[in-house]
Amino acid sequence: MTRRRRVILEVIAALLLIAAPFVLPYLNAAPNTVNRILVWGLFGLGFDILFGYTGLLSFGQSAFYGTGGFVAAYLLTRAGFPHVITALVIGMAVAAVVGYLIGLLALRRTGIYFAMITVAIAEIFFFVEFNPLSEWTGGENGLPGVPTPKLALGFTTLDFSSGWSLYPFLAFCYFVGLVLALRIVHSPVGSVLVAIRENPLRAAALGHDVWAYKITAFVIAAAYAGLAGGLLGVLQGFMPPDAFMFETSGQLIIQTAIGGSGTLVGPLVGAAVWLFLQDFLQATLKLGAAWKLVLGIVFVLLVCFLRQGIIGGLKALALGARRRAPAPAQEAAAVPLSAEEQQAAAQARVQREQRHVAAMPAAHHADASFRGPILQATGLTKRFGGVVANEGIDFSVRAGELRGIIGPNGAGKSTFFKMLTCEIAPTAGRIVFEGRDITGLGVTDVCQLGLTKSYQVNQLFNRLTVRQNVEIAALAELRGKFKLDLLRSVNSVPGLGEQVQHTLALVNLTERADAPVAELAYGEKRRLEVGLALASSPSLLLLDEPLAGMSPSERVETVALLKSIAQGRTMIVIDHDMDALFELAERITVLQEGRLLVEGTPQDIKDNPLVQEAYLGGIQEPLEHEPA
Amino acid sequence: MSERTDLPPQPSRRTLLRAGVGAAGSVLLPASVALPALAEEQHPPIGTWPAGASGDSVFIGISVPRTGTYAVQGEDELKGYQLAIEHINEGHPLIKAISPKTTKGVLGKQLKFGVADSAAKPNEAVQAQQRFITENKAIMITGGTSSAVAVALNKLAQREKVLFVCGISGSNDTTGKDCVRYGVRQNFYGQTAANAIGPVLLKVYGKNRKAAFMTPDYTYGHTVTKSVNDYLTKNGGWTMVTNQVSPLGAPDYSSYLTNIANSGAEVLVNVNWGHDAVLSTQQAKRFGLLPKMKLVIPYQIPFLAREVGADVTEGVYAATDFWWTLGDKYPLAKQFVDAFDKKFGYKPEWGAENAYMEFALWAEAVEHAGSFYPPDVIKSYESPRKLNSVVGEVSWRPQDHQLIRPVIIVRGKKPSEMRNKEDFWEVVEVVPGAGLMQAPTAFGCNPGSYT
Amino acid sequence: MLSWTNFWSQLFNGLALGALLALISSGLTIIYGTLGVLNLAHGAMFMLGGYAGYAAWQATGSFLLALLAGTLGLGLLGVLMERVVIRHFYARPPEDQLLVTFGLSICFVEAVRFIFSSNSLSVPAPEALSGISSLGIMMYPTYRLAVVGICALALLVLYVVLYRTRLGLIVRAGIDDAVMVDSLGIDVYRVFMVVFGIGAMAAGFAGIVNAPVVSLTPEVGEAILVQTFVVVVIGGVGSFPGAILGGLIAGEIISLTSMVNPGYAYVMLFAAMTLVLLLRPHGLLGVRGRE
Repeated sequence: MTRRRRVILEVIAALLLIAAPFVLPYLNAAPNTVNRILVWGLFGLGFDILFGYTGLLSFGQSAFYGTGGFVAAYLLTRAGFPHVITALVIGMAVAAVVGYLIGLLALRRTGIYFAMITVAIAEIFFFVEFNPLSEWTGGENGLPGVPTPKLALGFTTLDFSSGWSLYPFLAFCYFVGLVLALRIVHSPVGSVLVAIRENPLRAAALGHDVWAYKITAFVIAAAYAGLAGGLLGVLQGFMPPDAFMFETSGQLIIQTAIGGSGTLVGPLVGAAVWLFLQDFLQATLKLGAAWKLVLGIVFVLLVCFLRQGIIGGLKALALGARRRAPAPAQEAAAVPLSAEEQQAAAQARVQREQRHVAAMPAAHHADASFRGPILQATGLTKRFGGVVANEGIDFSVRAGELRGIIGPNGAGKSTFFKMLTCEIAPTAGRIVFEGRDITGLGVTDVCQLGLTKSYQVNQLFNRLTVRQNVEIAALAELRGKFKLDLLRSVNSVPGLGEQVQHTLALVNLTERADAPVAELAYGEKRRLEVGLALASSPSLLLLDEPLAGMSPSERVETVALLKSIAQGRTMIVIDHDMDALFELAERITVLQEGRLLVEGTPQDIKDNPLVQEAYLGGIQEPLEHEPA
Repeated sequence: MSERTDLPPQPSRRTLLRAGVGAAGSVLLPASVALPALAEEQHPPIGTWPAGASGDSVFIGISVPRTGTYAVQGEDELKGYQLAIEHINEGHPLIKAISPKTTKGVLGKQLKFGVADSAAKPNEAVQAQQRFITENKAIMITGGTSSAVAVALNKLAQREKVLFVCGISGSNDTTGKDCVRYGVRQNFYGQTAANAIGPVLLKVYGKNRKAAFMTPDYTYGHTVTKSVNDYLTKNGGWTMVTNQVSPLGAPDYSSYLTNIANSGAEVLVNVNWGHDAVLSTQQAKRFGLLPKMKLVIPYQIPFLAREVGADVTEGVYAATDFWWTLGDKYPLAKQFVDAFDKKFGYKPEWGAENAYMEFALWAEAVEHAGSFYPPDVIKSYESPRKLNSVVGEVSWRPQDHQLIRPVIIVRGKKPSEMRNKEDFWEVVEVVPGAGLMQAPTAFGCNPGSYT
Repeated sequence: MLSWTNFWSQLFNGLALGALLALISSGLTIIYGTLGVLNLAHGAMFMLGGYAGYAAWQATGSFLLALLAGTLGLGLLGVLMERVVIRHFYARPPEDQLLVTFGLSICFVEAVRFIFSSNSLSVPAPEALSGISSLGIMMYPTYRLAVVGICALALLVLYVVLYRTRLGLIVRAGIDDAVMVDSLGIDVYRVFMVVFGIGAMAAGFAGIVNAPVVSLTPEVGEAILVQTFVVVVIGGVGSFPGAILGGLIAGEIISLTSMVNPGYAYVMLFAAMTLVLLLRPHGLLGVRGRE
C-alpha cells in the first residue's frame, strides 16, 4: 500500500472517530457502549497482528489484558500513583515483558499445540491472579476506585471523566494504536509476518528468523492487550478479575472472526456487532440468557461460510468488482503442434528474444575469499528409523561449477538436498561451505550464508502477488535474518525495488508482477519458485527438479533461464530430464539407493554400464527386484 | 532513511482539534438534555438528577445474579424487589407502615425498573448499571448478593453520584473500609453475625473447642471467618485448627474435606454461601464428616435447608436476617410474609425480605427528604430517627450508613417436628443490633463527599 | 496440613481425579492424534454427557440408563459432529478447525443453559454404591471409590479396542500416518468418524460417571478442558499410555498440592506443564515429530 493510501485511511479513521459522538447518539448508542467498543478494538488491533497477519491463534490474550490492567490499576489505587497516563504506559510495558516470557514458552510449539498451550496459560493466569496474588489484585473483588485521566496542558486541564467526556481520550488512544498498527503491518516486519502465516517453512528457508518474528508479533499483541486492559479499568472505574478469564480471550477471538481477521479494524467492527447483539437480543427480543446461544450459532455459521468476516467479505466484494481476472498468459499456439515442433518454436523464440538482462551477482557468502571447493560434504548419512535414505556420501563442488545430480526414484536425492540446506540434520557426516562447517546450522542461517534451494513442489506464498513473493525473499537478503524495523514503510527499504525488479526480469515475470500466485500458469509458478531462491542472492543455488511437470516448450525456456542465472554463482541441479541436464551441467553425480554411484562428465555417465544397470535394473539378468 | 514529513504536523493538529471537541462535547452533550422547570433548580445537576426525576416515573436499576452460584438466592431477592415496587406504586398499607408519608409511588412518581444478570460478577454488574445510569437515568441502583459486586457498585455509585441501595452483602467491608457516601446497607453482616451467634455457640457447645472453617475466597468469606473466629477464640478459647479457603463456584470439595477430616476438628463452620454451601455441605455428609462434626452456618443461606434436606440441617445453628415464623412476633412481618406467599406461592427467605426492606426504607428516606436530590436523600438517611420494620424498631447509623437492626439466631428443626414443608428453622433468639456492631470507624470507613 | 493420614487420603483423591482425567484425555488425544483436530468442544461434551444422563435419569430413575444415555448419546453426537461439520474442515487451515470446535463448544454450553437453566442439578449415585466406606485410615464416599474402578474399567475397554481389535489397529496406524492408511485403500474418513465417536463417548461416559460426585452446571466442561490439555501436553500427543500417565500425574499434583494449600494446585500444574515443555517438548510418552 502506498504511503498516500495509508494516510487517506488514517484521515478517514480520524474523521469517523471525531464524528462519532455527534452521530451515534441518534442511533441510540450509549457512550459507555461506544467506549467499550473502542477498548475491545484496541485489544483486537494487537490480536489481529498476531492472528490475522502472523497466523498465530492464541487463546491466551486475556493473560496480558489482565496483567496490564491490574498493574495500572494497582499503581493507581493501592500504590497511590498520581498520573493515570503514565500508569497505563507502565501497565502496557509490564504486559509486553510478560508477553515476551510467555512467548518464550508457548512458541516452542506451533499450530494446534501452540493454541492448546495458550488456553492453559489463560486459565492458569486467572487462577494465579485470583488466589495466590489476591493481595495485589483484590482477588474476587478486583481493584475498585480506578481514577480517570486528567491532562494538564498548561493553559487548561482536560478532565476526562466518564461517558462522552471519556470518549476523546479513548478515541485518541485507539487512533494512535491504529496508526501504529498500520505502520507495523506495512513495514518489512509486517511483510515477513504475512509470509510466516502463508508458508512458515519457506519464510525460514529464505533466510528469515521465523521464531524471532513470531515473538515480536507476540510481544506487540501483549502490549496492545496490556494497554487495553488498563483502559478498561479507567473506563469502569474498577478493574475486574474477569479480565483474566478465558471467556475474555474467547470473546476477542469471536469478535475478530465476526469483523474479519487480517483487516485491523475487523475487531472493532466485531466488538460493535457483539455489544449491539448483546443489547438487542436481550432487551428487544427478550431472549434473556439465550442471546449467547444465538451468538454462538452465528459465529459457527460465519466460520463455516464467511471465514473472512464482515470487513473481509466487503473487501473481497470490492476487489472482485474492481479486478476482472485476466486469462493467464498462455504460450498456446492456435494450432496444436507436436512435441518437437513446440520445442523448435520455443528455441527459436528464445534466440529471438535474447533478453539482455544483467546477471544477478551472488551477494551472500560464508567466506568470499575461500579458494577451495565451495561445498564439501563428507560421509553424509541420514537414517529415518530403520530406513537408510543416504549413506556415507562424499560430495564436492568447485566454485562456479554447474553440477547435475541424477538417480532413479528413491535414490535419496531430495533427502540429500535437505541435508545440504540444513533443513534436516544428518545422522552422520559433515558439510563444509566455503571452508565453514555448517553441519547442524539451521536453514535460515545457511540461507543467509549464501546457500539456498528452490523446491521440487512449489513452496510459494499462495495468497500474495508475484511481486510480494519476491519481496519477501529480497527482504531477507537485504536486511539479514532479523531486523526490528517496525515503523519504516516496506517501500522505503533501500535496494528493495531494484532487487525485486532485477529478479523478476531474470525469471521473465515482469508483466505478471501484480498477479496473485493462484492465477499463474504452472510454468510461471515454477519460474517464480526459482526466482524466490534467486532473490536471496545465493552463491550456491540448489534446484530440486526445476523442470518437473513441464511441457517441451517450457523446458526449453527453463533451461535457457537456468543457463542465464548460472552466471556468477555455483549451481547444483537435480532432475530426471537427462537430456536437459546433460546439456546444462559440466559434471554429473549419480545417486542410487542412498549411495553415490559414480561421478563424471555427461558423456562418461551416459556410457557408464553401472548407471544403465541402476536405471534399467540390469540388461541381461531378469528383473529380480523393482528399481529402488 | 526516508523522511516522514507528513507525520509531525498532522497528529498534533488532530490532537488539539479532538481535545477541543472533547472538551466542548463534555460540556455540550449532557446539557443537551432539556432541563425541566422544577422547584429544586437551585442545585446544579448531579448524577442523574434532575434528569431522572423529571418525568412522572423514576427508574431503578437492579442487578442480581440470575445465573451462576448465587442464582437461586438472586431470584428470591428479585421477587422481594418486585413486591416492594408493586406495593410502593399502589401505596400498600405495609409500605405506609414503614414509610408514613407515602401515598402512591415515591413523591407521587411511579417506579419503573430494569433487571440485569450480574452472575455474581462485579464486571457484569458494573457494566449493566452503567447502562442503566446513562441510558435510563436510573435514580437509584441496587444489587449485590455477592459482596464483591456490592463493593464494586459502591464505588460506581460514588463516582456516578447515584444512590446505591445495597442488596444482600455480608462482608464487613461494604460499610467498612469500602464504604461510600452514596451507599447504604440494610442487612446483617459478618461482625454482627459473629457477635450474635458467638454466645449461643459457646452456650451450646462449651469452651475450648476445635473448629474447622470453610471460607469462600473473597471479601465476604474472609471478613466473616475473621469476625466469627475472633469472637470464639477471644471469648471461648476455641481454636481454629484449619481454614480451608475455596474459590467461588468450586464444584469439588474433596481436597478440602479430606484436610478437615484429618484435622481433628469437632465443629465445622461453613462460611460458603449459595450453591457452594449446598455442595460443600452435601459432600461433607458424603465424606462422613456430618453429623459426626457439628455444623455451624454463621451467615445463613436462603433455601439451604430445602436443598440439603432437613436431616442435615437438624440441630444446626445459623444467624440470619429474617425467618418467616417471625410473623408470630411482629405484625409487619406477618403482613409481609402473607403478601409474598400470596403473590409467589412460597414463604419468603431473607434475601427477599432484605430487598423489600431496602426499598421500603429508601421510599421512606426520599419522602422524608421531600426530594430526589441525592445529597438531600443521603442526609435524610443520616438524620437519626426511629423507623418501623418487619423486625421491629430500627434506625440508620449516620457514620457508615449501616442499619442498626437485630440479628436472628435460628436452629434447624427435626424433620419430624416440621409443621409444614417450609418449617425448617426455629427462631431461638432475636438479638438487638446496637450491641453487636463495631465502632463506626473501627473498620476504616471513610465515606466520600456528597457531591 | 501435613500428616501421613492426610497424605494417603489426598493420594487417593488424586487417584480418583487422575482416573477421570485419564479417561477424558484419552478421548481427546486419540482424536487429536488421528484427525489432527484439537477438539475444543471436548469439555462441553463431558458436560453434555452428564446432562444427557441427567435427563435419562429424570425420565426413568435408573442410573444404568443414565449411563447408557450419556455414553451412547455422546457417541452419536460425536459421529454427527464429525459428519456435518468437522469433515469439511480437514482441508482448511488448522486455525479454522480450532475456531469451529470452539464455536460449537459455546453453542453446546448455551444450549444446555437454555434448556436446563444455569442452576446446578444433581444425579444421585446408584443405591448400591452410595454411602460411606471405611478405608482404614479414613472414611471415603463409596461412590468415589467406585468411580476409580469404573474409570479403570473403561480405560481397559478402550485399551482392548485400541490394541486388540482390527479397528484399533487401523486407528493406531491412522495416528501414525493417516495418509498411509488412506493409500492402503482403507476408508480413512470412516475411521475418522469412528474415532471422533469413540473420543466423544469417552468424554460423555466420564461426564455421567462424575455427575454424582460434583453437581452439573453448564460450566463444568471448561475447567475440565484446561486440565485435559495440560494432561495431553504432559503425556504426549496422540499417545494413549501418555494420556493415562499424564492423567494420573495431573490428578496427584492437584491433590497433593491441596494438602498444603489448595489455591496453588493450578499453579503447580502449570509449573509441571512448563517443565515438560522445556525439557521434553513432545511430552513424556509422546513421539517426536508429532505436531
